[in-house]
Amino acid sequence: MSNVKCTHCQLEFDESVMIKEAPSLHFCCNGCQGVYHLLKEDGLDDFYDKMRNDTIAPPIESGNDSSNFDLESFKQRYIKSTNEGFSRVDLVIEGIHCSACIWLNEKILHQMEGVLEVSINFSNNKAKLIWDEETVKLSSLIEKIRSVGYNAYPYDFNEASQQSVDAKRDYITRVGVAIFGVMNIMMIDVAKYAGYFSGMDTEVLHMIHMVEFLFSSMVLFYSGWVFFKGAYYGLKNKIINMDLLVAGGATITYIYSLTILFGADGKSYFDSVAMIILFVLVGKYLEVLGKKSAMDSMDKMKSQIPLEATIIENGAKKAVMLDQVRVGDILEVRNGEKASVDGKSIVDLATFDESSLSGESLPVEKRQGDSIFSGTINTGMVMRYEATKNYANSTLSTMMNLLEDSLSSKPKIEETTNELSKHFSLTIIILAILSFIGWYFYSGDFEQSLIITISVIVIACPCALALATPIASLVGISWATEKGLLFKEAKFIETFAKADTVVVDKTGTMTTGNLSVKQQSKTLSEENLALLHALLSGSTHPVSQSIKHYLEEKHEEINALNLENIEQVSAQGMVANYASKNERKKLLGGNAKLMQMHNIEVEKSEHTVYHFSIDGVLISSFELEDAIKEDAKELIDYFKHAKIELFMATGDNHEVASRLAKELGIVQFMAEMSPLDKADKIKALKEQGRTVVMVGDGINDTLALSHADIAIAMGSGADVALAMSDVVVQNNSLLGIRDAFVISRRTYKFIKQNLLISLFYNLLTIPLAIAGYVMPLVAALSMSLSSLLVVGNSMRIKQKDSKLKEEK
Amino acid sequence: MNEVLQLELIVGVVVTFTLITIFVASAKKGNFDDQKKMMDGMLFDSPDDLRAAAEKEAKQKEMRAKKESTK
Repeated sequence: MSNVKCTHCQLEFDESVMIKEAPSLHFCCNGCQGVYHLLKEDGLDDFYDKMRNDTIAPPIESGNDSSNFDLESFKQRYIKSTNEGFSRVDLVIEGIHCSACIWLNEKILHQMEGVLEVSINFSNNKAKLIWDEETVKLSSLIEKIRSVGYNAYPYDFNEASQQSVDAKRDYITRVGVAIFGVMNIMMIDVAKYAGYFSGMDTEVLHMIHMVEFLFSSMVLFYSGWVFFKGAYYGLKNKIINMDLLVAGGATITYIYSLTILFGADGKSYFDSVAMIILFVLVGKYLEVLGKKSAMDSMDKMKSQIPLEATIIENGAKKAVMLDQVRVGDILEVRNGEKASVDGKSIVDLATFDESSLSGESLPVEKRQGDSIFSGTINTGMVMRYEATKNYANSTLSTMMNLLEDSLSSKPKIEETTNELSKHFSLTIIILAILSFIGWYFYSGDFEQSLIITISVIVIACPCALALATPIASLVGISWATEKGLLFKEAKFIETFAKADTVVVDKTGTMTTGNLSVKQQSKTLSEENLALLHALLSGSTHPVSQSIKHYLEEKHEEINALNLENIEQVSAQGMVANYASKNERKKLLGGNAKLMQMHNIEVEKSEHTVYHFSIDGVLISSFELEDAIKEDAKELIDYFKHAKIELFMATGDNHEVASRLAKELGIVQFMAEMSPLDKADKIKALKEQGRTVVMVGDGINDTLALSHADIAIAMGSGADVALAMSDVVVQNNSLLGIRDAFVISRRTYKFIKQNLLISLFYNLLTIPLAIAGYVMPLVAALSMSLSSLLVVGNSMRIKQKDSKLKEEK
Repeated sequence: MNEVLQLELIVGVVVTFTLITIFVASAKKGNFDDQKKMMDGMLFDSPDDLRAAAEKEAKQKEMRAKKESTK
């Protein structure tokens, strides 16, 4: 059979599994088929032309919760009124892959009565929707989005969101203006430099200088305003920062060029002024983009907060807003719902999925008095618990606040260049002033003293110094990208290279995160195999699913049997009966607790074990484990070789953690760690003076990631973990972490070399300038030459890919 | 000769500053918030899309007028 494309989503599948409607109509699922016909009926089949060669995911199956969008609590939290009296909501649209998806969603909403404006941003899938509530309900609009295979959820467009949008716009404007200015100056420069060889009328040269002056003034004072502002705040706080250096260097060059414009002899450097500002500004713009992307992911996470809680008051259920829940209130959580505040269980035998906090996939059993954490999902029957904290002090809210704080207050890593530049620029400023005073008193000639002073400043203009780090980092980053590593900012290379401690999460990072059967105690007869398979089929629990999958892989054919009275025993397993013509059998499948309750003896184990018994006799036991990733050992060997200290942190119990650590050869591990514990451990390690790298993948790791000097997320991790990370290993391979160390260490070595070159060059030429042997033009040439040397040296970083092997 | 150069430079500077002003105004308005969508928009300029845009404008005008009258 050959592969054919689904008419709707364009994904290729084997022809045999497709729904064939007509010779040219093939669908991979009912969802795609439904959406295709809907679009056709609504006259929106242009969508397929606009898709061109793009593919989209098959339609998302959304829950039947659209009525939540009309709740009063929802309106209070997410819906705002516009000045004209319309309603506005900000949504995140899930499932958008290409421009055609945007077109379709905007078009289908615009077609609806009562929709005034809808605008979807492709880069973050966020939509601004303005509509008339008197004409159409929001739930109907959401249903419309869902009907064409997408999903929408709201996010809180607050002041911080507006600020990040404004910051991005501001930088786009400043960078755009700088590009305009630099491009024009470069065009005029062609004429100017040509004039050096063929000769140029002084009047024409003056005109060119005048035009360059206009454009560079615009770039320096408009685009470069952020540096002046940064320098001002730095000085106010007695810090000599990079902004001061850039603003100072550019201003001095500008002032020198002004003297040329107004009659002094020499060459103007208006072009250098504009270029210095543009290059450094682009770096700042990328930083703003990174922060905005982190904000977008936070918005997605916030949408997971429940809208309201159900409290029991005088025996009756009442829905209240989260901030109205008080300590001592009794709350009810149904299956699949999230606990809204922290509390303690007042019922026996409840199960909660705490993966959002601990990252561990197995549901946790809760007995009377056990703690219930906000944000965890009830996977068992409807249960009640007593609130011990209000919403603001509960786990979920605390985590959100901590993450927001770390996002806005994460300290900037001081770059080596900045450190050196701080002293360097101070020294140069002092030397320049001393040169001026010295020469003025020695010769009494103001002009000569000024020319010498300018030569000192120009020759020492920190171009090479400023280039030393970014150029080397750029080469390092491009190399890393080829290896599937995404460094979100260049400065992380340096910190990475200095890192001496690594903290890794267990589940999903060192292990695959999927349970697999490691050992089966006894082989099953054909009948018992069929009985176990039937029992497992009645459960969706991850353990049951793993064993079922294991049996199906191992046995080609398993007879289908029907069981009676299948009963789930919360957090223990399942009980069922099997009745054939001749006999009746009682089947039990579950953990040791279930067996003990039925007086069946089983051995204790440090693994997750599933037991299967028939009529009180243990038939077989299955030992499950979370498989270790293939390359975990290789990575640990590298850490040992590179003298990097490794810690493993996990939410699992001590036995499981200890066994895995032993297996991998990890000496230091921490078990039963909550997200807050992990973050505290990182802080403690940092207080010991270590540079800490944290590797994680889940939402539970985000807090620890935000506290680490370098946060690494595996590419398959949660959105928010990816947003919080500084480095993303896109190919999910643990060896990517090793490559990141190798690349950053080699790049950092070259950064140091570059700094040495630029400093040595300056130290050699500055005394000559002070002595009056260097004219400003020669000083400028010397400055350019040092920059060229730095660029040339940086190109050596990635001379051969085999260097990577060498470094290993 | 110099006069011609002078004139060319003046015209160049005026044109550039006009373009920069237009760019700054549109950037502040949010026209470049989504560069990807803006660039892809060029592919979507069929007569149907232009008609749809005109219809959208008319609908917005009508809705605003209706809302204003009910105030």
